[in-house]
Amino acid sequence: MQQKNYSQKKINRMKKELKVIGKPIPKQDANIRVTGKAIYGHDIVLPGMLYGAILRTEHPSAIIESIDVSEAKKFPGVICVITADDVDVNNIGYKRDHPILKKGEANCTRDEIAAVAAETKEIALQALKLIKVKYKIRKGVYDAFDALKESAPQINKFISGKFENKNIAEKFHYEHGNLEEEKKKSQHIVTRRFTLPRMTHACMATSNITASYNNVDRKLLLYSSTQVPFLYQRDMAHALKMNPSDIRVIQPVIGGGFGSKLDMHPFEPICALLSIKTGKPVQIIYSREEEFIASPIRQPMVIDLTAGVDKHGNFTFREINIVKDNGAYTSWGATTPFVIMQAFSSLYKLKACRFNAMAVYTNNVFAGSFRGYGNPQATFALERVIDLLADELGMDKAEIRLLNANEKGEVTGQGLLYDTCGHKECLETVISKSHYGKKSLANKDSRHKRGIGLASMLHVGGGAKIYRSDGCGTTLKIDPYGYCTIITGSNEIGQGSETVLAMIASEELGIDLKKIKVINTDTDVKPWDVGVHASRTSFVAGNSLLGAIKILKEKLNRKTAELLKTSHPDFEYSENKIISLKSNESIALDKVVREMHFSQPNELAIASYFYEPSSKFQDKDFKGNVSGTYAFASQAITVEVDTYTGNVKVLDVYVAQDVGKVLNPLLLGGQIEGGILQGVGYALTEELLMHEGRILNPNFHNYKMLTASDTPEIHFYPIETNDKEGPYGAKGVGEAPLIPTAAAIANAVCNALDLEFLELPITPEKVLFAIAEKKRTDKMHSL
Amino acid sequence: MNFEIINPSSTEELLGTIKSLQKEKFRFGAGCTDLLMELKKNPEENLTVINLSQVKDASFTGIKKTTNQFRLGALFTAHKIVINEELKINFPVLHQSALTLASTQIRQVATVGGNLCTASPSGDIACALVALEAQCEILGTTGKTRTVPVTDFFMGPRKTVLKSNEVLYSISVPVNNKLSKNILSGFIKVGTRRSMECSVVSIAYHIQTDEHGNIINAGVAIGASAPTIRFAKEACEFLIGKKLKHISHKEKEKFAEKVLSYAAPITDIRATAWYRKEVLFNISKSIFE
Repeated sequence: MQQKNYSQKKINRMKKELKVIGKPIPKQDANIRVTGKAIYGHDIVLPGMLYGAILRTEHPSAIIESIDVSEAKKFPGVICVITADDVDVNNIGYKRDHPILKKGEANCTRDEIAAVAAETKEIALQALKLIKVKYKIRKGVYDAFDALKESAPQINKFISGKFENKNIAEKFHYEHGNLEEEKKKSQHIVTRRFTLPRMTHACMATSNITASYNNVDRKLLLYSSTQVPFLYQRDMAHALKMNPSDIRVIQPVIGGGFGSKLDMHPFEPICALLSIKTGKPVQIIYSREEEFIASPIRQPMVIDLTAGVDKHGNFTFREINIVKDNGAYTSWGATTPFVIMQAFSSLYKLKACRFNAMAVYTNNVFAGSFRGYGNPQATFALERVIDLLADELGMDKAEIRLLNANEKGEVTGQGLLYDTCGHKECLETVISKSHYGKKSLANKDSRHKRGIGLASMLHVGGGAKIYRSDGCGTTLKIDPYGYCTIITGSNEIGQGSETVLAMIASEELGIDLKKIKVINTDTDVKPWDVGVHASRTSFVAGNSLLGAIKILKEKLNRKTAELLKTSHPDFEYSENKIISLKSNESIALDKVVREMHFSQPNELAIASYFYEPSSKFQDKDFKGNVSGTYAFASQAITVEVDTYTGNVKVLDVYVAQDVGKVLNPLLLGGQIEGGILQGVGYALTEELLMHEGRILNPNFHNYKMLTASDTPEIHFYPIETNDKEGPYGAKGVGEAPLIPTAAAIANAVCNALDLEFLELPITPEKVLFAIAEKKRTDKMHSL
Repeated sequence: MNFEIINPSSTEELLGTIKSLQKEKFRFGAGCTDLLMELKKNPEENLTVINLSQVKDASFTGIKKTTNQFRLGALFTAHKIVINEELKINFPVLHQSALTLASTQIRQVATVGGNLCTASPSGDIACALVALEAQCEILGTTGKTRTVPVTDFFMGPRKTVLKSNEVLYSISVPVNNKLSKNILSGFIKVGTRRSMECSVVSIAYHIQTDEHGNIINAGVAIGASAPTIRFAKEACEFLIGKKLKHISHKEKEKFAEKVLSYAAPITDIRATAWYRKEVLFNISKSIFE
């Protein structure tokens, strides 16, 4: 009997029947979040804390002739006022072209002129009004193409001038294949210009920081919502001319990231400076209006795309020229062409590609990074043009995509290696589930027109090697009571990484989820990690944890073998016990740990591991396998357009996504639904409107972020390709759901109305205008 | 944002408070859903807010039906309108306008009086009340009341006929014509979101017919199309005597043109004047489709 039991267990183990992974386990921090127990940056109060506030320029482009802070300094309750003259700091930003406090000139509406620390927030805000700044208003440059003109003034004075035009901040060139040859082979060529809007993250928690400088030991403690604490620590140290290790970064609960917290922004070193000057803790919290004005945005850009197709429907070439409005300073957002070129070079099989992109300085607000990192923009242009190519060719829009879909084993022109690839399966799934081409999309009446659109996407799914290391460290310990603590370099910004890591530990160590703690908020404690970006956390931090578990299990196994007096090293970890697969004898895990700790040779139940993905740095031509694996997704979306109002109602969204392996269907569903709603907003409603450098809608009233009541029916089909590199086969999932949504919606709207839309968002007004224009031209033709 | 706040708990206390503040700067706050936003944006010095939400008198907070009318106290909330079955059956226009207002949370505190006194051209409940040709009952500090048709209540954007010693007491909606078997009543709100939205254009309509289906009474009001909500009198008159079920395509367009003649929309951040006119014309037609 015992023998049979053993073999069954062995079989189970060999099959790796998963007990925790793949189960719909609620987010471990859900309880504290919904009950208000979570401590956000806004909740932090330190003894003697002061409140900081920032004076921003009145004019997007002006000479600052003088700044008089004398009245503000005298105001009762004001402790400190600083301007650029009071601080010795370095510029910040990806290109170090961004002064923390501005002097001499203002170049965008966010520009920080002075900062106040006071006893209350109200006093700080009142003091700002007492600061007198004399401006000489200049005519700014608010269009990237204007900024490229010879006559344009140089907007940012801190760049090295390595490009041919004084206002180019960054440039990218990539190509593969013989473009001219492929052009000749093309049966049809389509050229279009696409215009993409400014979209803002609108995180529920506004930007915040609490800085506490100890002027005795000269160490700085920051409570910051950064997504990348170790890069942030380095950037902060550079800005403040400090030693990075003298800066400790603690992340409170973060109320939304979406890429907005990838860069360090001026308010953060400003808060630190106020604390350094006063020797007291200082807190800066943005108001909602400030959040709209002074936090980063998705890059607005103009994409010129020319693409060809041969007579059989095979894609031949793509030629892309992109002009991005960089705004006045350069952030990580300027590097989005890394991702954009991947979509253009490697989504669907492609013989030749030539890609040029530049980020151009203007006096607009500067762009940052945002979920998808340029990919939603690229995918919109690409998938729109694929529809047009299919039309030219008279080919079915699903068929042309299936014909060109990426495949397992493919090495793309850019050198991306698709070890696993669910692209075709994703497409086939949404085509079949949405009854694409079969389902009669009968219009309800002459007023409401229905349409369906398809789009796919490719995104990194196993990190992205853009820094020297794309790795993550883990230290794992089990205490004498059988509780496990995961100290991970990665962090939680709402995406659920704490839960997934706890699930992995529970799966492998057989410890109850309730007995697992994840420590991930303190740079003084946790090992190194690049940060939360590129949908990398489950993949990289998950693998790192698995590595640590393996080492710790070797230690535990040794002790268990000794205690059970067995030489057979095969054990199963289940229900807080370690069970010998040979004898079926078991011993409580906590007992094993106690024996390790308290009997000789005393040893800690602790292990550390650093995981580095197999991905490579791309060469100077941007070629190479930049990610550990790649995620694919397709969406088919049906819409109904009200031709009376121009409103587009998204009816059904069919999503199939190559997730490698479902680690937690509940969290995965959350990422899918949230991403899609963000994508619907990008497609139809969200735009930060600007006029001559000023934001016109810095509020939820006029910035049309969608709400739960706008959520369409979402039908999600995970595709499991079991990637050999991913933890349990999983790939990154976080950004993908947003990426093809706007493209599919645009294709659906064009399909419904038989009209072309080349810019986002497709607002009711644009729809109605296009319908009216069409009526007018149809009338003219019929005359 | 810094202000004094006074919390009267009865009509008597309220009138006393108003009287005592005649030489001061004061504002009324009921649900405060607009007021707080406004004061945050444009703080006023030395301001007192009279918080009406503690006034518990039924004449202010309740609803009363008589033979001729439904009387809604000024502090009757949008939520109470939404859940009131009698209002839903008799005045779909009012029910729908309340239901599209902001969000569930805001509807719990937003009041019908607040929606009127804010005098926003895009007020939803206000637009319905104009279509219903409701009457505003205004209470003075002397305890005397006067009645003003809601169509005359608005003087301009954010301006009403209320004097400094007056407060809006109630709104009365006339009952439907007894002969009326059919009512065509509704509220169309155009915007980009399905909730938390401010109307870009709106139209409220309440049309009653006799037993033969002939239109005997019509009220149509437009929102977010002019400095104030407007009652489209000529469009209403145009409908009288017509058979509701047999309004021709031409007549629909004629009606829509008449509605449009009351619109003087502006171009602002939310829409252009062109869009507002185009949509108003379309949704006016759509009433009969």
